[in-house]
Amino acid sequence: MTTETHVKDIKPGLKNLNVIFIVLETGRVTKTKDGHEVRTCKVADKTGSISISVWDEVGGLIQTGDIIRLTKGYASVFKGCLTLYTGRGGELLKIGEFCMVYSEVPNFSEPNPEYSNMDQMKNKTVRGNDTTNGNGVNSQGSGSSTTPLQGGRAGSGVGSRANNPGGTTVNGKETRRSTKR
Amino acid sequence: HSQERLERCVAIVTSLTNGLSEREANDAITANVCKGPQQHEEVCLGLFALLLTEPSQAQRCYRDLTLVNRDGMNVILIKINQILMEKFLKLQDVCRTQLVWLVRELVKSGVIGADGILMTLMKQIAGGDITNKNLWLAENVLDIVVEQREWVLKSGMLIAMSVYTYLRLIVDHGTPALLVLRQKEVDFCIGLLREKFMECFIIGRDLVRLLQIVARIPEMELLWKDLLHNPQALSPQFTGLLQLLTARTSRKFLACRLTPDMETKLLFMTSRVRFGQQKRYQDWFQRQYLSTAESQSLRCDLIRYICGVVHPSNEVLSSDILPRWAIIGWLLTTCTSNVAASNAKLALFYDWLFFSPEKDSIMNIEPAILVMHHSMKPHPAITATLLDFMCRIIPHFFPPLEGQVRQGVFNSLTFIMEKRVLAHLAPLFDNPKLDRELRSMLRERFPEFCSSPSPPTEGRDEVKMEESVSLEMDNHVLLDKEGGCYDNTEAAFSDDEEEINNKGNKKREFRFHPIKEAIIEEPADITPYVDQLDDMMKEKVLQLQKGSDTETHCEVMQEIVDLILEEDFDSEQMSTLASCLAELFKGHFRGDVLPDEITEESLEESVCKPVCLVFRNLCQMQEDNSGFSVLLEMLAELYQKQPKIGYHLLYYLKASKAAMGKMSLYESFAQATALGDLHTCLMMDMKACQEDDIRLLCYLTPSIYTEFPDETLRSAELLNMIVAVIDSTQLQELMCHVMIGNLVMFRKDSVLNILIQSLDWETFEQYSTWQLFLAHSIPLETIIPILQHLKYKEHPEALSCLLLQLRREKPSGEMVKMVLSRPCHPEDQFTTSILRHWAAKHDDVLGEHIKALLIKNNNLPRKRQSLRSSSSKLAQLTLEQILEHMDNLRLNLSNTKNSFFTQTPILQALQHVQASCDEAHKMRFSDLFSLAEEYEEPSSKPPKSRRKAPASSPRSRKGAATPVSNEEESASSSASEEEDSKPKAPKRKRKGSSAVASDSD
Repeated sequence: MTTETHVKDIKPGLKNLNVIFIVLETGRVTKTKDGHEVRTCKVADKTGSISISVWDEVGGLIQTGDIIRLTKGYASVFKGCLTLYTGRGGELLKIGEFCMVYSEVPNFSEPNPEYSNMDQMKNKTVRGNDTTNGNGVNSQGSGSSTTPLQGGRAGSGVGSRANNPGGTTVNGKETRRSTKR
Repeated sequence: HSQERLERCVAIVTSLTNGLSEREANDAITANVCKGPQQHEEVCLGLFALLLTEPSQAQRCYRDLTLVNRDGMNVILIKINQILMEKFLKLQDVCRTQLVWLVRELVKSGVIGADGILMTLMKQIAGGDITNKNLWLAENVLDIVVEQREWVLKSGMLIAMSVYTYLRLIVDHGTPALLVLRQKEVDFCIGLLREKFMECFIIGRDLVRLLQIVARIPEMELLWKDLLHNPQALSPQFTGLLQLLTARTSRKFLACRLTPDMETKLLFMTSRVRFGQQKRYQDWFQRQYLSTAESQSLRCDLIRYICGVVHPSNEVLSSDILPRWAIIGWLLTTCTSNVAASNAKLALFYDWLFFSPEKDSIMNIEPAILVMHHSMKPHPAITATLLDFMCRIIPHFFPPLEGQVRQGVFNSLTFIMEKRVLAHLAPLFDNPKLDRELRSMLRERFPEFCSSPSPPTEGRDEVKMEESVSLEMDNHVLLDKEGGCYDNTEAAFSDDEEEINNKGNKKREFRFHPIKEAIIEEPADITPYVDQLDDMMKEKVLQLQKGSDTETHCEVMQEIVDLILEEDFDSEQMSTLASCLAELFKGHFRGDVLPDEITEESLEESVCKPVCLVFRNLCQMQEDNSGFSVLLEMLAELYQKQPKIGYHLLYYLKASKAAMGKMSLYESFAQATALGDLHTCLMMDMKACQEDDIRLLCYLTPSIYTEFPDETLRSAELLNMIVAVIDSTQLQELMCHVMIGNLVMFRKDSVLNILIQSLDWETFEQYSTWQLFLAHSIPLETIIPILQHLKYKEHPEALSCLLLQLRREKPSGEMVKMVLSRPCHPEDQFTTSILRHWAAKHDDVLGEHIKALLIKNNNLPRKRQSLRSSSSKLAQLTLEQILEHMDNLRLNLSNTKNSFFTQTPILQALQHVQASCDEAHKMRFSDLFSLAEEYEEPSSKPPKSRRKAPASSPRSRKGAATPVSNEEESASSSASEEEDSKPKAPKRKRKGSSAVASDSD
């Protein structure tokens, strides 16, 4: 079993990230030049929140309150904001809903002046990654790849494996909390 | 994993029977089953899974199952139960249909345990849900119980449960399209109610509640006639409605009307979600279960469930987990139908009406009083509505029983006071926020509870309080903590862990008392515990009780510690011993810890209490010593009975010489407690400390921040605890600590987030936060992005602090950008103020920055700007905005000698912008642009001809591409005007048009 990274430990440039989070907000869809739909979702775990950029049809399946496991994700800076992406061969898998404690702060995708410089430097390479690699599902390009999330949402029979029975108990102990007012 | 297993079992069965005739196949699996229990289980589950997924094989599989199983179908029953409880919602339609078919077959075969399965299946029928899937299930389960009526009649619980279920579902099936189903349900319920009334009687008073809601249906009306006037007709043992109304409803029934998924989510909210963080969870729950008109009926089920089933543990009650009343408040306020709202109120008060302290639990009536109490300030209308309901229900619930209902409500209120849920009711009943009529109605109905505690009566009250306290103190461990953790009200929580033993055995009932009463000195009573100790220990504890001076206490305490550390100490006694110690030392936990005058001697003296001996022993021990963990266990037990011990330990570690450099012991302690982690424990202890002793909080602050930077520096919560209670002297002291270097409260990486969070705090809290921040030397640049969050009129504290700070700075590009990003508002002078100041002091720097921004925003394709703005709602910089701010500055400077607008960079930039902007803007900012009209580049004469050539020059482009450019610009400007009212759609539009613009460039 691979270990999960906490949101607070996600730093620009990290690859091969496995993260379990709960979806707090699903953003509006924007279209890239080559017709991909991109959605920025705000997600969180107990250590804080971060934006994740979700590409194409998977984005439409994600609902707020979903608990999702990201495998093979990577983080980079987009417009001065730390952003999480699905890497090549990675996927988003719904493993439960609702029952996960999260902390919305700190928001690690707040614009960070330190990142802006990096952003400018890396801008081109990051863009390149986005289109080829923005989402694991997308990057396969062939009809053979299925959307794992679909299985999770549409439900499955006894024969299907997309359901994770243990999905509702992903969260560990809560350690952070924020102001009560 | 369980699915993989099922797949494997299917494979086994298939491989066993593949290519064989039916008879041979049967022999093969029978032979396999005989090999052992594992094979038996595999075959059963394989057949089961095949049955669910392959309808064509279902008959054969079920026959095989009945033939080969050797455990009365137990494996199958367990598996069905598991699927029903964990994943029914996720089943595909085929499996769902097959599963219901299988249950029907099991019932037909009379399999033992099928009644349990059927009840679990009923639980899947969601209340308030008339989607086809749910109706299908309701109908099919009803068919089973109707067809198998004889079998149903054999089980009392099944009778009661199906009557409760279908009486409730009838409510949802009132539309004409569903009348056939409803009639079937009515017939079924009436049949059982008439034939097996005493079996239905075990439901308790909620049976009446459900019958009330459906009373208009003719058959039900007839039943009501008998209930009221001819109870014997229903059963000889039934004496009448009152008998049913005084019977408390068993949790089983209240729980059976929630699906497992609803239950899981509600329980998660009441056990894991912190108060203040519930919004999103509530929205999600609402979206899934409460968003339709027909789902409003579910609110009653949820409220009854919360009152009757969700009884949180003491640990949860004393934490800052979302309290039950807050959920009730949410359910009441979001209700969209009047009928449902009035049923919901009745559900909330249902246990009040015939409340009897002997039979009923305080936990069932507590949510109603607390929701009224806590809503008074934020939502007085809710409190008023509920109080009004409480008054009116007395005569209206059922006139012949008015006296009983009055008594029930009276009993509830008395018990609430007795149990100290609220200390006084007068502040609730006689509150100026309620209208006069309601108050006079309350006075009329409840004169006993309305007397405001004026000085003479207060004396009497106190006496009463003393009595009730002393009665209960015998067995109670006190946690004097004012009003739980939510606010400073005198609400207290109590718990009934043990339903029935409630009266006889109160030992486990923990309660919070207002500090006021705790001052009453009570002789410590440890009788309930002391006999459970072994003789040696008992002797020591009794010595401790007898001894009077601190020195003896300390000596005995050391002996007790030594006893604990002995190898043969029976750790079973730990909890009991902790109860004794908590009770005996309760005096130490009252009053101030910190000496009035802080000197070396006074500090040393203050840590000479017997409790501190445990701390001292801990400090002297190596962490790998086995005794170390035993002592930690001891402290963890004590902490359960006396949470104050947490901050006492922090104090000891800081104040005692013996503990020098051992502050980190606290972490070990935190991990040993039931809370189990440093952050939570530290926050709880600091909160407790804040409530008890503010001086101590300030005294501990430097060490806490120094010793636990990871837990403290990012915690807005902790900071708020401090700034919420300190006075200006303490603030000044803390600032000095910061400047001396004793205290670091902010770090570059987290300060911005904390300041943003502080924006909702009280004014003094915010000012204190800024003062503390300014005492650090963190560059202002770090927190400049906060400007994007600051709204005119909403955040005056932060804006004024920031204004004064910006004034001292030389403007940087980022600062100017942030300042100009503020939306223009005629009354908001922030930007003009700071720009004017900079224009006077740093005109050249400001000029350059503004030029850069003007040119950049003029040239940049707007696409990029709007992409960013789609991801956040923060203030954005637009060209128009810059011009507007500039124009304001121009007006402001017009009668001064300031020469800011004569600077070359500004004039260049203005010309540049003017050249490419549309007519509307030219008109609007004509005065501003006119400043630059006269200006010509000093050295422009000779190279002018050369500069004319490139198409990129704004002036030349203007001539060449006027039609296109005008079109684009007017499209974009009209879009940005719409933006105020409709932020979303126009932005996309604008992006589209600017994309064209950038292409044509």
